[in-house]
Parts: sequence; structure tokens; C-alpha cells
Amino acid sequence: MSIDIYWRIGMGGDKESLRHPDKTRGDWDRVRPGSIAPGLRRGAPDGFTYLDHMADVARAAEQAGFYGGLLPSFPMTDDPWASAAALARETRTWRFMIAFQPGFLNPVHAARMSASLQRATGGRTVFNVITGGGGPAQLWWGDKVAHDDRYARTSEFLDVLRGVWDGGPFDFDGRFHRVEGGGLPAPLAAQDFPEIYFSGSSAAAIDAAGRHADYYLSWLEPFDQLARKFDAVREHCAKTGSPPPKFAVRVDVLARETEAAAWREVRRGWENVDDAAADGFLRGREGDSVGAARTGGFLAGASLRDPAGFTVAPGVWGGFSLLRPGPAFGLVGSYQHVAERLDDLIALGVDAFILAATPHLEEAYRIGEEVLPLLRGPHDLTAPDAPAALSAV
Amino acid sequence: MTRTHHEPEYHWAVPVAGDGREANPAHWPRGGWNPAEQRTFRPAFRDERGDRFGAFDYLSAVGRAADVAGFDGVTVPYDPAGEDSWITAGTLLRESRWLRVGAEFHPAFATPVYAAKLSVTLQRFTDARLDWHVVVDADETAQRALGDFVTGDDRYARADEFLTVARGVWHERAFSYEGRFHQVVAGGFFGPLSGVPFPRVHLTGTSDAALALSAKHADVHVFGLDADPAVLAGHIARLRAAAGARRDGIGIGLRVPLLVREDANEAAEALTRRAGTGAGTGAGLSAADNAVVWHGFDAFGHRDTAGLVGSYDGVAARLAEYRETLGITRFFLAARPAAEEAYRIGEHLLPRLHAAVPTPAKASA
Repeated sequence: MSIDIYWRIGMGGDKESLRHPDKTRGDWDRVRPGSIAPGLRRGAPDGFTYLDHMADVARAAEQAGFYGGLLPSFPMTDDPWASAAALARETRTWRFMIAFQPGFLNPVHAARMSASLQRATGGRTVFNVITGGGGPAQLWWGDKVAHDDRYARTSEFLDVLRGVWDGGPFDFDGRFHRVEGGGLPAPLAAQDFPEIYFSGSSAAAIDAAGRHADYYLSWLEPFDQLARKFDAVREHCAKTGSPPPKFAVRVDVLARETEAAAWREVRRGWENVDDAAADGFLRGREGDSVGAARTGGFLAGASLRDPAGFTVAPGVWGGFSLLRPGPAFGLVGSYQHVAERLDDLIALGVDAFILAATPHLEEAYRIGEEVLPLLRGPHDLTAPDAPAALSAV
Repeated sequence: MTRTHHEPEYHWAVPVAGDGREANPAHWPRGGWNPAEQRTFRPAFRDERGDRFGAFDYLSAVGRAADVAGFDGVTVPYDPAGEDSWITAGTLLRESRWLRVGAEFHPAFATPVYAAKLSVTLQRFTDARLDWHVVVDADETAQRALGDFVTGDDRYARADEFLTVARGVWHERAFSYEGRFHQVVAGGFFGPLSGVPFPRVHLTGTSDAALALSAKHADVHVFGLDADPAVLAGHIARLRAAAGARRDGIGIGLRVPLLVREDANEAAEALTRRAGTGAGTGAGLSAADNAVVWHGFDAFGHRDTAGLVGSYDGVAARLAEYRETLGITRFFLAARPAAEEAYRIGEHLLPRLHAAVPTPAKASA
């Protein structure tokens, strides 16, 4: 069995560290002296676009040994399909894991786009099928379909995508999609079907994942909870008779030479956490995402005064959402310690990782050079800087 | 690109013999220069790199980083034990949008006519973004291994002939020259190869011979930080005196290896990690004086011994001071690892430096 390790491409700009709130990369914050892609040269726009930075990150991660990268999709970020087409020409081995919600695309056209991207990249396309978190963001996309129906639509979408992939003729008459005599033209139909990473924590999601997923992808959660989630997927598949998918987890990492250095980064970032935003994160939430509700439950007792209160197990920290947009849980610690936690995840059944760290460019080199070579240990946790220092958190 | 020597520019050093975040170059994993240090994964993990990536993929990452980070240029060092500077410069020129790319080379590498020919092609293809950094005072043992047996002040005489001939064939249509080291009869470039801007010539050194050569040929003369500012001011005065008759003047450059962090404490810690216990505190960094000249950069893989350690504010203030008191307008900055640090310097140091300099227009207002 082989384990695939992906990196993440920030599709909405990036910060130079978790310490400061401002995005200096990309044009999501005001472009000013020191901004990168686009930047200013003697006061005038330098002609670079955010794609130039994404390409820097993709190439860095590729050379650092990552198998590919996740291109996430959110209302206020650049589009993964368009970005993947451009990045395809800037990389050689890297896989593009394109996040998309099936509801927004015609499945026959999605098959065409995917097959052409397979042709452009020598088969380096991967899908991250997401079904949406509901609430205002779902409405922003123009999608009013209810939670469980969205998963039914996702299922139909993937049935059609697979149906037309091999050339057809393919007929389908469903609740959401209908096609007659569909099929890709021969050169497109000859492409391998992309691997599917499937996200969703609800029963409806797990049902759809059982039918379509190569990999069942979850955010990082406390490890025992994650194990139970994977078990639920395995049990569901056993009941329905479908083979269980592999498991993947999306993990933010903050790894440094020492425990103390890693936690110092957390604390420096914490100085800039806005109390109101933090309060909102802990108490309120929008939408119908079951995964987001689970996160809120894990952190019910955390206090804003102390970032250490967000630690749910050694090295497993739930405060990332307050330092950058994205999921709450990630790993914090020395290179050895973070590698050990990742190995623990492998031991509980994880077959693939999507790792991320801020800033994505510099950290791609660091994690590729310092952490990934340590995976599947042995780990030397007796070093003076290793977990003992956790007590200092 | 008709900037004068008087407008400040900031250039970045390209690491042609490997790179990494370790202090000791023997442990650098990048570029393939330390095969034992390659960071490979255990067999459980799918690693598609194989032999598809090489040193130039990383060099390209450094060049692209410097380009988006707002540097005015990069310099590719002459290092007989590293990648060739001409080939590296050629790739970086092609892959950058704004960068001037300085190829450092020794005049023994080719005839001056051939050096001009090579350069005119690079200039044509890159909107004239090539710079020359001519090394004259190279290690003589190393030079003999490269087939070069010219020594002492003859090296300066040869460099003088080299630059005279290169400029001669570049600008004239029937240029003849008979020297001790180089000859040419009715040389010159025609058609599209003519009328191209000659590369900016950078020279170095503090000897009388070096300063005399610069007085005649240099667009920019580049010093290191090894000398005290007062001594450096003396060298600059000698150079200006020697070049007194030249109307275009000579730009003054400074090579500065850097170790900069958000505050002086972090810079001191980073120095301690590289140079060993006590180095950070021993360097004399404090909140009050948050940039110091550190004489130990050669141990971290830099050619220069002296560079600056300190906070963004402190180092920017010190560089601005060099600019104002010594008249330095070309800064050749370097830090490891070069790709990541290009982003750091571009985000934090360059904006401070640009803000701290009154532009000529503002200064006169």
C-alpha cells in the first residue's frame, strides 16, 4: 500500500506567517509595497498576478516531494479549474486535486473538462468532490437544494460523469440530471478516470461516499473521533456491500526544530486574534455542515485567554481557524513530534494526507525536507526539545 | 531601463552550489551537491520525483521568487565548484520578467570577442537585462586548474584588454587591437547584433590596480562589508579620485549577506542556531542596536565574511545609512535558503528601503 501526501494551494492569497492578519500574497488585501503577486515596482503594478505565486508554491511543493496539491474552492477565492489548467503547464509530476461542488456544473461538461485536463497533464487530475456547507455561502452560489438532496445530486452527477466517460452512448434520467446518448469523443474517452476524494461527515455523505469515493476525506479531528468516523464509513460499506474507500485527512501543520519554537509561533499569532471573531468561532456557526458542528463540540470548553486550551491531545491543536481561514484542527510541535502524530494517523488507517501550513511556499520546503522524511518512524522523542516541552505550553 | 547609477537598486544572490536552511553547506539538501543529504521518503510514500528534477529547477525557483518579490536583479556567482554562471544566467533571464541578471565570470573563460558575442545574444533576447560581474582577483591555484596562468597585476592588464576589446567589437564595425593578451583584426557586430546596449560592467577589489581598472571600465564598483565604514569611505574616495575625469561617474555597490528576522531577539536566536551557543548574544544585538555587522557569514556558505544580522527595521536603517553616508546605490544582498529568504526580504526589507529613500524628485522638492 502506498501513501500519497498532498500539499494545499491557497486559492485566496496567503500570509507571510500565522503571526499577522494581513495577506501579503495575492490581491485579497490592499496591494502595497511588499505585496507579492501582484506587487508594486517603484509605485506601479508589476504585472504579476496571483497565479505567479500559486505557480511558485506548486513548483516548490513538487520539488519537495509532495504528490500533488489540493486546490480548494470558496466563494471569495480563485477558481480551481482555471488555475489547474495554468498550473498544469508549470509542473511535471504534480497532481491537481480540484475541489468542486457537483451542483454547479453540468456533469457532461465536467467530464469534458476533466478529460481535457487529463490530456493536458498526462493524467494528473484528481477530484475533491464537496457537497457544500449550506447557509449563506450555498445561497451565494445560487444553490437552494437541501442538505441530504445535495448528496443525492452529487451521486447522480458522478453517475453521469462516469457514464459518459468511456464514450457512451449513455442515457440517464434522474431527479437532477438527464442525458440522452451522451459520451466523450474517442481521444478524450481514452483517459483514465480521475481519483475521487469525497468529503462529508453526515449519514447522507457517508452513503454517497460508499458509492463513489476512492478516498473518504475528512478534516483532522481528535484522533478517536476520526477513528470512529472512519469506522462508520467501513460499517456502512459492509452493510451495503460496497468495498470501503481508502481514507484521507486534511491536516494543518505547524512544525519547527523544537516544541518551544512551534508554540512560540502559535502564541505570537494569538496576540493578534480578535476577541469578537474568536467568540463567534466558538459560539456561532452558519449553515448545515455536520463537520463544522462536530468541530464546535470538540472545543466547547476552550477559552480565548489561552491557546493551550485548544489542545485536545498532545500535538493536536484546535485553534487554527483563529489564525487563518480553514479547518480548526492541526498538529503543532517539533519535526519529530509532528511526524509521530502523522504516523499515528497512518496507523489508524489514513492512506493519504493533504497537508498545509502558512506560508505555503516556505513551508512546502520545510515540511518536505524536515518532516516527510521522518514518517513511518522510529521517532526520537527523547530529545530535550521534544514533548516534555509541552508542559511549557 | 535607463536608470542611472544613482538610483538605488537591490539585487539577490543565486546559490550555484546548493542551498538549504542548515548553517553548514555540507548539509544542504538542494541542488544535488550533497547526495548524502537528499531528503528522501521511506518506501511507503509515493514519490514521483525520481530523476525528473535537478539543480536548475531550484535555481529557477530562486529567480522567480526574486522576480515576484520585487528585486531589481540577481547575481550568479563565478564558482568553479558550482553551476556555470553563464548557463544559469541564461535560464534565469528567460524565466524572469523584471530581473537584471548578473553573470559573474573570469576573463580567462573565453576571448573577449566571444564573450561579447555570447552577451549580445543574451541582451537581444532579454530586453538588455544582462549585467557583467568581472572577477579579476581569483584564487591563482584554482585558476591554474582552469588553464589560467596569468598572475599578479598582469591579471588587471589582461582584464583591461579584455574589456577594451569587448567594447570595441560591440560598438565599432571594424575594430582592430593588438595587445599582450588579446588581438583582433577588423572585428565588429553587424545587423541585428549591432546597436544593442553593452552589459553593465561590475568590478571589485580595493588594490590600486583594481581601482584603476574600475576607473577606466566599471559602471559599478562593488565592495564588501569587511572594512569599517571609515576605511570603506577611504576606498570609495580613492576610486572617485581615480575616476575623476569620467563624466558618467561610477556607481558604488556593496555586497551584504543578511540574517534578518522580525525583531532583534529572533535574529540573535537564528544566529545562535547557526553559529552555536552564545553567538546570538555575543554578536551584541540588543533592542537599542538592532543590527550589527557579523564577521562569520563565510561559515554559512557565503563568500563574504561580513554581513548584517538584525531586525527588519534595524537592518533597513543600517543599509539606508550606508546609502546616505557612503553613497552606495547598488546593494547585492544574500541569505539562505535563497528562495524563502527572497520572499522575506521582498516583503519586509525592500519596502522599508524604498520608503526610507527620498526619490530624487522628492529630495529636490
